[in-house]
Amino acid sequence: MKFSLSRAAVVARREYLTVVRRKAFLFTLIAVPLYFGGVMAIASRGEMSSRRESMRSLTTLGVVDSSGLYAQASRLIVSSLALDAARAQLETYRTKVEFLPDQARLEQALRTGRVQQGLVIPADYLTAGRLRRFASSNNLFGSTASVRPIERWLVRNLLAAHVDTARAERASRPAVAMDLYTLGRDGRFEMKDDRREMMDFMIPFLVSMLLAMCIMVGGQYLLQSLSEEKESRILESLLCTLSAEDLLAGKLVGLGAAGFTLVAVWMAAGLALGSPLMAVAQVQLEPRLLVLAIVYFLLGYLFYGSLMTGIGAVTNNMREAQQFAMMFTFMNFVPVIVLTSILAHPDGALAVVLSLFPPTAPTTMMLRLGTPSAEVASWQIAASVGLLALAGWFVLRGSARVFRIGLLMYGKTPNLPEILRWARSGR
Amino acid sequence: MLEVRDVVKSFDGRVVVNRVSFGVEPGEIFALLGPNGAGKTTLIRMITNILKPDTGQVLLEGATVDGDSRRWIAYLPEERGLYRRVPVIDVLVYYGQLKGLTAAAARAAGLALLERMDLQEWATKQVQALSKGMQQKVQLCTVLIGEPRLLILDEPFTGLDPLNTQLFEEILAERRRAGSAVLLSTHQMNKVEELCDRALMINHGYMVLHGSVADIRRHYAGHAVMLRADRRPELVPGVHGVEPVDGAWKLHLEPDATPQAVLRELVARGVDIESYAVAFLPLEDVFVKVVREGLGLDHGQSGPPVAEEPARGGAR
Repeated sequence: MKFSLSRAAVVARREYLTVVRRKAFLFTLIAVPLYFGGVMAIASRGEMSSRRESMRSLTTLGVVDSSGLYAQASRLIVSSLALDAARAQLETYRTKVEFLPDQARLEQALRTGRVQQGLVIPADYLTAGRLRRFASSNNLFGSTASVRPIERWLVRNLLAAHVDTARAERASRPAVAMDLYTLGRDGRFEMKDDRREMMDFMIPFLVSMLLAMCIMVGGQYLLQSLSEEKESRILESLLCTLSAEDLLAGKLVGLGAAGFTLVAVWMAAGLALGSPLMAVAQVQLEPRLLVLAIVYFLLGYLFYGSLMTGIGAVTNNMREAQQFAMMFTFMNFVPVIVLTSILAHPDGALAVVLSLFPPTAPTTMMLRLGTPSAEVASWQIAASVGLLALAGWFVLRGSARVFRIGLLMYGKTPNLPEILRWARSGR
Repeated sequence: MLEVRDVVKSFDGRVVVNRVSFGVEPGEIFALLGPNGAGKTTLIRMITNILKPDTGQVLLEGATVDGDSRRWIAYLPEERGLYRRVPVIDVLVYYGQLKGLTAAAARAAGLALLERMDLQEWATKQVQALSKGMQQKVQLCTVLIGEPRLLILDEPFTGLDPLNTQLFEEILAERRRAGSAVLLSTHQMNKVEELCDRALMINHGYMVLHGSVADIRRHYAGHAVMLRADRRPELVPGVHGVEPVDGAWKLHLEPDATPQAVLRELVARGVDIESYAVAFLPLEDVFVKVVREGLGLDHGQSGPPVAEEPARGGAR
């Protein structure tokens, strides 16, 4: 049966416009980033303001010293809290230390609000190392935020009588910074820039996430469109005018583009918000990585999109189609599930196998390529792309056959042997 | 226009269409008949190239139906539907574009068709807002857009009121005059008698009837004439039996007698004749008789019971 590019283009255009013009699409486009952005902003603001509030309100710390180790201790704790990730803005807090004779007095002071937190240093503190901390509230972030200044006060004042101030200060904070130098691929040791490496990793990571989400979103649109056409019996009159191949190609391209538009807008919004950080970190995208990202994206979508159209053709309604599609969508997210293993051992057996296995190859390979410590051999990239292309071609061919037969079948869902027979022989 | 040559199709070893051959000429309305499950839909799907025949050929204007030639075929299936949440005109533009029209030409053609169907006010409304009858008219528009040369209509009159039925018939007549061929599949035998030039009936995948509608009806009526007269006619030479039918008389003729000779005899005997015509069996009765008695199922050996006549073409 002859393939007609012009008819496939008409289908693709219609499918794309039908989806992007729907109110549900616009709602998803705007509401999803707003929702996640909102949730993250609220959570982050909530945590930060809770920490600040806790530090601000800790004006007096009550101390019951049964050990006698802190008789000469300083009566003031000076601490600071960074207000942004770059530590450009610091807020300083002053906390008065008030010694109390016993725990009962401390509890009384806490109840009346004269002190906001209390510390009981038992007599055997030096040998046992156990302390009791009291607080008038059990706020999660607030209570932990004030721990570090109290610990530093303990260290500094424990050593004050025995060592000089500088040593005491250093003991309370052994390293303000500890730069790590690692052996690079050129045989030289280079300072590891965590922030830049994180950003370098983020791009391929986001690309692999984009692919996974595109597959999921585009696949959903494919299932939805085919189910609608099957349920409303449109296909028979359509298939008189165009071939199943025209229809399949048009749907793959049009609905894939709709899914891509959705995810691309989200990504663009994310990048626009994150661009100042990327500029600071001097993030550079390797052209090779960009090309590979596009190749994996296209081949991955071809593989999964073809699968989804096959599923849409053999099922009778959306619910049935989604049940079938779920196990394939799950495969797509396997690399995300084992993300920590892949990042920890990017050249390990699991990472290599997943990057060669077509259903998991796009996401895994992009993750590996983005991991700074990974050394992905060229043959692995070639084999991975080759296998994925081959698998994509087989799935497309099989799906086109299943699609042609399954489209006009109503009522009975074929079993697996039937589907495989259709895929092999087209009858 | 359309030529179906000896097509065979089987599924899982079961033959669904068995050596079916027929042709439809430009300007002809051709009926495809058969009981449910006879293989009509499979045959239509082979004509529209949705299915490929195991053996045999389907030719449209002498060429196989493929690629661009598909645009000249339009099909209104029995189980039909439309995109529900789409404006009516957009549906027509889509179908028009699939048939090779530009978006502007498809829009113009779509609007003209909607006007013809008296649906112009509904052009921008979503399909789901239309009544069932209106949706059926939009369906017909999707078939007519792009001026196809072969129209395949499966039960097009189902669910239509008499006014819309008449409109559909007028449109079919227009298409016939414009030279389009129409393949009409229906169980409404009165419509076949009214509209169709020739008919093909299949049963269990075999051709069991094939020929002009008039010849089929005459053939199954037997060699007889219908007479309406002032009294029961006596047995004149050439007549071997008289049977009352709905207030008239059916005269069964001897094999070598002609209706003209019998008429002369009746006049000569002073019978006051009100009407006199060759007898035709209603097509519905032919259908029931052929299916019930399994007539023509030995097609492979003896051939169809009614020989095909040359296509008439043009308006009747």
